[in-house]
Amino acid sequence: MGKEKYEESSSDEEVNSSSDVVEASSDEEVESSSDEVEASSDDVESSEDESSSDNEKVEESDSSEDEVAPRNTVGDIPLVEWHKDEEHIGYDIKGRKIMKQPRKDKLASFIEGADDPKNWRKIYDEYNDEEIELTKDEIKIIQRVISGRTPHAEVNPYEDYVDWFEYEDKGHPLSNAPEPKRRFIPSKWEQKRVANLVRKIRAGLIKVSDQHKEEEHNVYSLWTDDTDSVENKKHGGYVPAPKPKLPGHEEAYNPPVEYIPTAEEINSYELMYEEDRPKFIPRRYLNYRSVPAYDKGVKESFDRCLDQYLCPRTRKKRINIDPESLKPKLPSRKDLRPYPTTCYLEYRGHMGPVNCISVDPSGQWLASGSTDGTARVWEIETGRCLKIWEVGEVARQICWNPSPDRPILAVVLEYDVLLLNSGMGDIDIQTKMKELLHISEPGATEDAGDSKSAVTWIQHEKHDGIRMKHFKAVLSIEWHFKGDYFTTVVPSGDSKAILLHQLSKKHSETPFRKLGIPVTAVFHPSKKKFFVATKKFVHVYDLSKVEKIQKLETGVREISSISIHPGGENIIVGSKEGKMCWFDLELSTRPYKTLKVHSKDITRVTFHRTYPLFASASDDCTAYVFHSTVYSDLNQNPLIVPLEILRGHKPEHGRGVLDCKYHPRQPWLFTAGADSIIKLYCH
Amino acid sequence: MEPNGSGSDASRQVQVRFVTRLPPPLRVPPASMAVPSHLTRFGLSDIVNLLLKNSDPDHENQPFDFLIDGELVRMQLDEFLIAKGISAEKVLELEYVKAVAPRKQEDPRPHDDWVSAVDGSNSSFILTGCYDALARIWKSGDASECTHVLEGHNGAITSAKFIDIRGVENEQNFHLVTGSKDRLLRLWKCDAAKRRGDPIRVGAYKILVGHTSSVQSVSVNPSREMICSGSWDCSIKLWDVKESEEDGDGNTISLKKRKVNSKTKESEDARLEGAATSTLVGHTQCVSVVTWPDPDVLYSASWDHSVRQWDVPSGKETWTMVCGKALNCLDIGGEGSALVAAGGSDPVLRIWDPRKPGSLAPIFQYSSHSSWISACKWHPRSWFHLLSASYDGKVMLWDLRTAWPLAVMESHQDKVLCADWWNHDSVVSGGADSKLCITSGIEIQ
Repeated sequence: MGKEKYEESSSDEEVNSSSDVVEASSDEEVESSSDEVEASSDDVESSEDESSSDNEKVEESDSSEDEVAPRNTVGDIPLVEWHKDEEHIGYDIKGRKIMKQPRKDKLASFIEGADDPKNWRKIYDEYNDEEIELTKDEIKIIQRVISGRTPHAEVNPYEDYVDWFEYEDKGHPLSNAPEPKRRFIPSKWEQKRVANLVRKIRAGLIKVSDQHKEEEHNVYSLWTDDTDSVENKKHGGYVPAPKPKLPGHEEAYNPPVEYIPTAEEINSYELMYEEDRPKFIPRRYLNYRSVPAYDKGVKESFDRCLDQYLCPRTRKKRINIDPESLKPKLPSRKDLRPYPTTCYLEYRGHMGPVNCISVDPSGQWLASGSTDGTARVWEIETGRCLKIWEVGEVARQICWNPSPDRPILAVVLEYDVLLLNSGMGDIDIQTKMKELLHISEPGATEDAGDSKSAVTWIQHEKHDGIRMKHFKAVLSIEWHFKGDYFTTVVPSGDSKAILLHQLSKKHSETPFRKLGIPVTAVFHPSKKKFFVATKKFVHVYDLSKVEKIQKLETGVREISSISIHPGGENIIVGSKEGKMCWFDLELSTRPYKTLKVHSKDITRVTFHRTYPLFASASDDCTAYVFHSTVYSDLNQNPLIVPLEILRGHKPEHGRGVLDCKYHPRQPWLFTAGADSIIKLYCH
Repeated sequence: MEPNGSGSDASRQVQVRFVTRLPPPLRVPPASMAVPSHLTRFGLSDIVNLLLKNSDPDHENQPFDFLIDGELVRMQLDEFLIAKGISAEKVLELEYVKAVAPRKQEDPRPHDDWVSAVDGSNSSFILTGCYDALARIWKSGDASECTHVLEGHNGAITSAKFIDIRGVENEQNFHLVTGSKDRLLRLWKCDAAKRRGDPIRVGAYKILVGHTSSVQSVSVNPSREMICSGSWDCSIKLWDVKESEEDGDGNTISLKKRKVNSKTKESEDARLEGAATSTLVGHTQCVSVVTWPDPDVLYSASWDHSVRQWDVPSGKETWTMVCGKALNCLDIGGEGSALVAAGGSDPVLRIWDPRKPGSLAPIFQYSSHSSWISACKWHPRSWFHLLSASYDGKVMLWDLRTAWPLAVMESHQDKVLCADWWNHDSVVSGGADSKLCITSGIEIQ
């Protein structure tokens, strides 16, 4: 407390003193204006006052004599420029203006200077706008600094060194204190530091580089053969020349007798071609020095150089792979039984190539259509022909109604589709079929519209069925799985190319307009979907909305037939160049697999209804049987295994097997041949 | 090569003794003798004939078959011994039996169409079913005439069976059943006593209605009171035929009457119709053949690859065996009337033993045919003999004791559709060449 008080009082004193100074200066101004001489004396006085005030300050802060607080407080500014036109040169510590002193003219000041013997000691301080008279001591200091000596004369820079410690006869130079304990215990901070580093290394924050190791190995063997090195191979670099054959025993000067050719052998060499002739014929000499110079030496080395020059050496990559390992791993055929293998039954009777066959849904009857203008029904188990319809034209396709209650056969002729009562089934069914296949008012069944011209439903008198007269040639027919609707394909029909018919109402319509040239059309086995195959694409339609869902790109030249897997998500497409494509509708619109198996047109591809089998028939007189497992797991692709090639049909007019169908319940395949025979292949 | 005592003959010899169960005139002295080991059954047969001639100068040569340890010799003796691992040091016991071979081929009975069914259970008559929807009865003997024609079916007859012959020899009344592809079974009665030049035309006295698809097979139970039928509609139906006998007497409908009056026909048909007493359901495909060997047990084979055994009173399945092929024929017989023989859509005739526990593998497989097997029948009396008919046109006789057929009868030019034993020594078979062939003189003791 007392000290603070003292400080306050001292500051008060300072303020007082400074106020004194200001007063004094103001006095000076007044006086100087009155009389110059007096003013000068006043100046001296004032300076004395100042010095006294300075002395006071010196007393206060004794750290340095030089720190005389400047009177002006404006700071380091270009005073001459800024205050050129001002009356003051700045402000003192209390904020009052420090007025400029009146300018003395040069002459007066010169006279004054000449008069004053101390004039040479005076300096003008521009900042504070005052003249300072240096004391003698100051002059001395300046002179000493100029002359390069220490400023103060009393300071001796070269004082003698005073040694504070004693060294003589002491064991330790500085201290004899005992060794401290910390020197003997491991450093705690080092330990912490190491633990920290270890933790960081383990956490991977610090990577311990082994650069120094690499540097160690940065040497290479100068003399090794680096033709096999990776670097050389990468750039396809140097390939060493093949080494010439080393000389053997036969080139010795005195080779064993067995190396010496007989005269006959030498004669036989003459008969050989020059290239086949041995280059060197061994001879015996008595001693080494009698061996003559090798006459072909120059030529041979020239030839070798020529060879190496003319034949660029290349590095050939040969992959050493067991060809067996490249084959896909397929299950054994034995595990995939049953499948059709052997022909046991033949259905003979047709007089011309059998174009089409169809198996009745129960599996008891087989229907066939032939070029000889007949359609027949056969008993499968005995091979007996039960029924013959003389249709008069080439039966292009035949199709059983898939419903067991409707034993109706649809036969495609040139322009007509016949719906025939097969006569199977009991009396109730027969009466129903008669009603169904009866048209009360022929010709007038169609309602208005363009479909009228497309199809006409007429009663067929001869065969007790319906004749559907199309406006252009019909190519194929397919029943809906429920057995009421069916579709016919008229390839040249433009907008009316695909026709949908309803049997119960005897009604036809053309729901699909722009299609190109369709080849065949099938119904989805369970959903309301419809597949139309044009020459290169398969279009998938939604029947309920009548719109296209998918377009499958087959990549084949011309589609001949398609078949839908009973699950409905897989399709096989057979083409006229012998290729078969498997589509997985879930997977892609491109083929999952393309099988090139037949050398000629594929005429028919077909799935088995219950067994995991499919088959293809071709004009090269063979039918192929495949196994196809379709997994319910979407991640697993279908498994396709070729099983059997069924031969037996004979070619007729360049055509082979014209149709193939599976038995609906047995793993049996029916094939219809151009040799007018139908064959049944059983397991 | 050890030097043999006989020396001059290079071939080895074996000591044999001939034994037999044949009656005395055909017995040889039971002394052992040495015979060359390269002999086949023909050579052995010659030796036996020679021995018989020695004892009885009137003996006529006849072929014999030889059994070693219950197996027929079908190769050279030494090969047989090596194959079976039998020591040649001991005296070999050769049992000889009369060779089973057809000796006589009777004239074929011509039909108008394929013969699809034949029954030879009657000793003097043969019943055949034909694809022209007619069933015929043929009298035995050289006259070979058709005595009755059974008319009425609208489809090919698939199966025809004698149910019973009522009365005795002086008054033979046939009671018959036929199944047809027109989904119906018809019951017939006819009198064998009436004999005229032309065959008698007979109509059915009862129609059994119930199947919704072709009837494939009919079988009569041992008590002759029930019949069962298998059909393409996957079911087996049982029908009672006993009660129908009383009202059926003398009520055979003439065909003319039915044709003339179509309105009365329906009502009459309704009166004549009979319904099934029960239906056995279990097969998933066409029941191709049924047999009823035991009053309570019924066997069926189907295109669904299974053979099933049914308990008739309860109508339950008691045993199922899946063989992997569609089956066309089935017969029960053999040892203890328990072996199941079946053939189907491949050329192998298989025989199972249902008594064998834990295994469904066939105990015998005969694969000499080259096409589907259409019929197989056990011999009614023998445990070892059975016949099989195939679409390759051959009828084969088999003995369980050897893997080769005893005889191959190639009397048909086309598929053989049906075959049966007749009179224990003949085989009757019908085929797609519209003939009924009778091969007789097969002696099976």
